[in-house]
Amino acid sequence: MPVTQLSTRLPHGAAGSAPAASQPRIRIRDVTLSYGPLQIIGGVSLDIVPGETICIIGPSGCGKTTLLRMLAGLAQPTSGSVELDGAVIGGPNRSVAIVFQDYGKALLPWRTAAGNVSLALEARACPRAERPAIIRELLEKIGLGRHTEKYPAEMSGGMQQRLQIARCLAQEPKVLLMDEPFGALDAMTRQALQDEVLGLVATTGATMVFVTHDLEEAIYLGDRIVCLQPNPGRVGRIVDVRLARPRDQLLTREDPEFLRLRRELYDLIKDDHQ
Amino acid sequence: MKNFSLRKLLLGCATLVLFILVWKLVTDAKLISPIFFPGPERTYAALEKGLSGGALLTQTLETVQRMLLGWLLASFVGVFLGSLVGISKRARAFIAPTLELLRPLPASAMIPIAIAFLGFSDNMVLVVIAFGALWPMLLATIHGFAAMEPRLYEVSAVLGLSRGQVIWKLALPSAMPMILASLRLGLTISLILAVVGEMLASRAGLGQSILAASRSFRSADLFAGIVILGAVGLVGSRLLSFGERRLLRWQAVNR
Ligand SMILES: Nc1ncnc2c1ncn2[C@@H]1O[C@H](COP(=O)(O)OP(=O)(O)OP(=O)(O)O)[C@@H](O)[C@H]1O
Ligand SMILES: [Mg+2]
Repeated sequence: MPVTQLSTRLPHGAAGSAPAASQPRIRIRDVTLSYGPLQIIGGVSLDIVPGETICIIGPSGCGKTTLLRMLAGLAQPTSGSVELDGAVIGGPNRSVAIVFQDYGKALLPWRTAAGNVSLALEARACPRAERPAIIRELLEKIGLGRHTEKYPAEMSGGMQQRLQIARCLAQEPKVLLMDEPFGALDAMTRQALQDEVLGLVATTGATMVFVTHDLEEAIYLGDRIVCLQPNPGRVGRIVDVRLARPRDQLLTREDPEFLRLRRELYDLIKDDHQ
Repeated sequence: MKNFSLRKLLLGCATLVLFILVWKLVTDAKLISPIFFPGPERTYAALEKGLSGGALLTQTLETVQRMLLGWLLASFVGVFLGSLVGISKRARAFIAPTLELLRPLPASAMIPIAIAFLGFSDNMVLVVIAFGALWPMLLATIHGFAAMEPRLYEVSAVLGLSRGQVIWKLALPSAMPMILASLRLGLTISLILAVVGEMLASRAGLGQSILAASRSFRSADLFAGIVILGAVGLVGSRLLSFGERRLLRWQAVNR
């Protein structure tokens, strides 16, 4: 049963950024998408308010990437519509950044880490003199401060993925789409980056849609968790996460509410994964 | 690494020495009349005389200049047109097949047409060189653009890069390995066509001097000219390889 949920509740991360009656940043309305006879997405509706962090979970192949691509304007729905601030998304747009799942292909192999971040600055005509400082700051934030002159081929998968995140942040987007960005990271780096991303989202007021396979990651990051069901992809349940912000790797994860949510989600998706 | 390239150099030199030795043995045994086939000593003497006397040197410079001019012209036009066609999927679909069809036409077939329009002039030779050397670069640019990682086109769209930026910052660097290889091929073609053009239009240069030497049975001069042509080709391709390695340093780390 597809659930349409009009959220009027303000997320914790966006204190004061929008009045309660504000229009959603992103509105997904009865979206379907088919490749030929095959329906990939079958009727998804979802509103996302400014500053909110939505996590999407679901089994492999259920259409998470496809949904993100529609939000990025890289794919058009077969029916229904996707709107950004009330205007239909007709194509890619600088204010919606996407971190691709296949990080190896999304980076320019002939540019160093600094050069790859610079591309986003060049695209938005940021003055040449200002670029080095911005690049340095972003790369430091994302933990690549000592690797600015490395080529992607000289970096590990996790480093490449972080580089992609840095480039997206350089875009200064209103909406940040992340497709399993931390899949290639070890647990410690992963937690550090979760906090880094949450901090960035809180300070910039960006809206985030975050795809992950990791239930705990979804709970830790999200204001709401959307469980997608496969064949065709549709919204199964939307779970509200009422955990205080800023979140803390130890305290939040020990919170009884966190454990309860983990249990709830686990039971929910168990059936989709047999 | 160092060891390896040194060994390669030694092997290369050894092969060259062996080649000259065989050449000497064949001529000393008089398998072919010395009138047509001079030995290495006579060729070397003619080379020395020609280069010190000046005639051969100026002819070489003429030919090298012709080759370079034609090659540069072909490179600019080839990469420029290739970019225009390559950046648009539709243009590629429409134009590329025609180009593939035209490509195998031997450049020498162009010569009569060029003569008809431009007469026996230096410009005619230049046009023939440029036209012949254009194809590999044009097609390599188009193919290089087509082979670009589709994800990068998406990245460029999301970042909001202009079409010019996509060409300059994404497509050209991504096609660069193919383009550089075609530049090397184009240089060889330019050299060949410079020589053929000089022979046909009797413009000053190595081509003409080789032809003249052959007509008057100065086989040593003829071979001296050929040796220089080989050397010019080798040096040109080596210089380009060197530039290629520098420009494609990022590829070295990929391997
Ligand atoms: N271009 C395409 N043409 C045809 N089918 C496609 C195309 N892209 C995706 N699909 C199909 O759409 C479905 C959803 O793919 P999608 O990549 O969105 O899954 P996902 O939820 O992101 O999976 P994962 O968790 O493995 O990344 C898959 O069954 C896939 O085979
Ligand atoms: Mg995916």
